[in-house]
Amino acid sequence: MSVEINQLHFTYQNSNFGLQIPALSLDKGLTAIVGQNGAGKSTFFKLLMGLLPLQDGNISINGKGSHELTGRARLTEIGILFQNPDDQLFNATVKKEVTWSARQITRDRAQVDQIVESALTKVELLDKADENPFDLSLSDRKLLAFATLLATNPQTYLMDEPMIALDWHSQTIVLHILKQLADEGRQIIVSTHDMDLVAHSFPRVITFDHGAMVFDGTPTALFGSPAILAQAGLLPPRIMQLCALLGDTNVYLTTEDYVSKHQA
Amino acid sequence: MDDSQQISLNKVSVAYPGAERNQLSDLTIKTPAHQIIGILGPSNSGKTTLCRLLSGIIPQVMRADVQGEYRLGTLNPTANWAEINRFIGYVFQNPADQLSGMAETVATEMAFSLVNLGQSASAIDAKVRALARQFQLIDQLNQNPATLSGGQMQRLAIACALVTDPEVLIFDDPTSQMDPVGTSQFFAWLKNQHDKTIFVTSTNVDALCNTVDSLWVLNAGQLVASGTPRKIFNQPAKSELIPAPVVFNLASQMGWALPDGDYPVTQAELMEATGHER
Ligand SMILES: Nc1ncnc2c1ncn2[C@@H]1O[C@H](COP(=O)(O)OP(=O)(O)OP(=O)(O)O)[C@@H](O)[C@H]1O
Ligand SMILES: [Mg+2]
Repeated sequence: MSVEINQLHFTYQNSNFGLQIPALSLDKGLTAIVGQNGAGKSTFFKLLMGLLPLQDGNISINGKGSHELTGRARLTEIGILFQNPDDQLFNATVKKEVTWSARQITRDRAQVDQIVESALTKVELLDKADENPFDLSLSDRKLLAFATLLATNPQTYLMDEPMIALDWHSQTIVLHILKQLADEGRQIIVSTHDMDLVAHSFPRVITFDHGAMVFDGTPTALFGSPAILAQAGLLPPRIMQLCALLGDTNVYLTTEDYVSKHQA
Repeated sequence: MDDSQQISLNKVSVAYPGAERNQLSDLTIKTPAHQIIGILGPSNSGKTTLCRLLSGIIPQVMRADVQGEYRLGTLNPTANWAEINRFIGYVFQNPADQLSGMAETVATEMAFSLVNLGQSASAIDAKVRALARQFQLIDQLNQNPATLSGGQMQRLAIACALVTDPEVLIFDDPTSQMDPVGTSQFFAWLKNQHDKTIFVTSTNVDALCNTVDSLWVLNAGQLVASGTPRKIFNQPAKSELIPAPVVFNLASQMGWALPDGDYPVTQAELMEATGHER
């Protein structure tokens, strides 16, 4: 399971934004992508998905050229949760939405039903199966979009800010599912602005700044580098911000981490 | 206090058309206007519905059955939306919903309300530039709003709501897609808006506690608690549905209490509790 990127250059026609990635290799497991608004996270995902033209360089998804993958072959290799769920919901009911995705994978009725029920159960939307997606709250729409992705269950999951609008309980559910998928050998790439989340759950974090990759390593290394944080316009996790107020500038990834090191 | 300076809700319930249950039930509260009120609660607890009601969007723009009475100072938003609309700035939870779809550039989108008010081109330009600077959209002023990144769109949505400098501001989870620095700048700015009545929902409990004068806690459509952030998180029966801010978790585990025994919920209170007062 891997995504390989070489000499990738991309620019939009109508803005002066450019993305450059000389070389990047992403393996299975959890990877976070962070960076300021407009740093290029969503652009990167759209390029991986083949939703933007490949202008220069190449991307291979699990050994295949990304822009050659089509149809069902693409769906089982890679899938995306869009930042705005409204970009991927278009059916009349919650159930139909997930069924539509499941049917891209199999035409077997019983199998489709089973996939739909399992996906909706995981995101706790089964009791809303007959509702219209556009009557749901934004957090439920985000969870529904995630369920459609779970239905196709690709090798590589691109999650563009999956926690937007989610409350604490739903965030816990989504994180749990992502960790489980990673344990099963899936590749999970998550963009987020939540540094606490990156610190406590991601072994690897990649940082974009104005379309350039400026860091690739562990959260401990990122949050221990004030220069990189400043360059990329980022802040460390909340616990570190609080400790800094108290004059302690060490790296702590969680509150428990701090407490265990300081309690007598 | 005289009623013209109060926000009052009296047994307010809201039901969407065709829904079996009320989305909000029996909300009753009376509290001074000109403060910052944070609205907290789990998903589907009614935060967005409450924002729509407080602004008059419900029932004036969006159909719903409203029972009970609601007054915002002298204003009656549920009855007179057209008249009070210009006093209220509203930021939608999903910034894409805020775009007019008619502007070719970010600058024209921001200028819309000012053009409608008949302001001069130079006054409009100055206001647009000032807000673009505040929200880091200077480089995007000539870009099509539909092509902005999610966080840029959220910044634009806020700028559009502020452009007429309304007296009442309602923000529905305004920083959900903003980067950490943008989020902290936004809340720092918000904290300084003393003469306005502001409602803000957020899943960022830490930022809310640092910013607001009081919190309203919703659960399953009911107002289950209200008070200062410090009081809300220090009461024994605090809701398990809402995680406490990191400050509180840290201080309570370390035994860093304030003189009255409460644990801090803001950075300033943490400094006080640990003897780091500035
Ligand atoms: N279709 C487009 N045409 C022109 N410019 C675009 C287009 N889409 C995005 N951009 C610009 O490209 C830059 C990168 O956008 P992108 O959406 O990748 O950022 P992001 O890192 O995902 O940001 P956010 O954290 O706000 O989601 C931004 O400055 C954006 O305005
Ligand atoms: Mg994005």
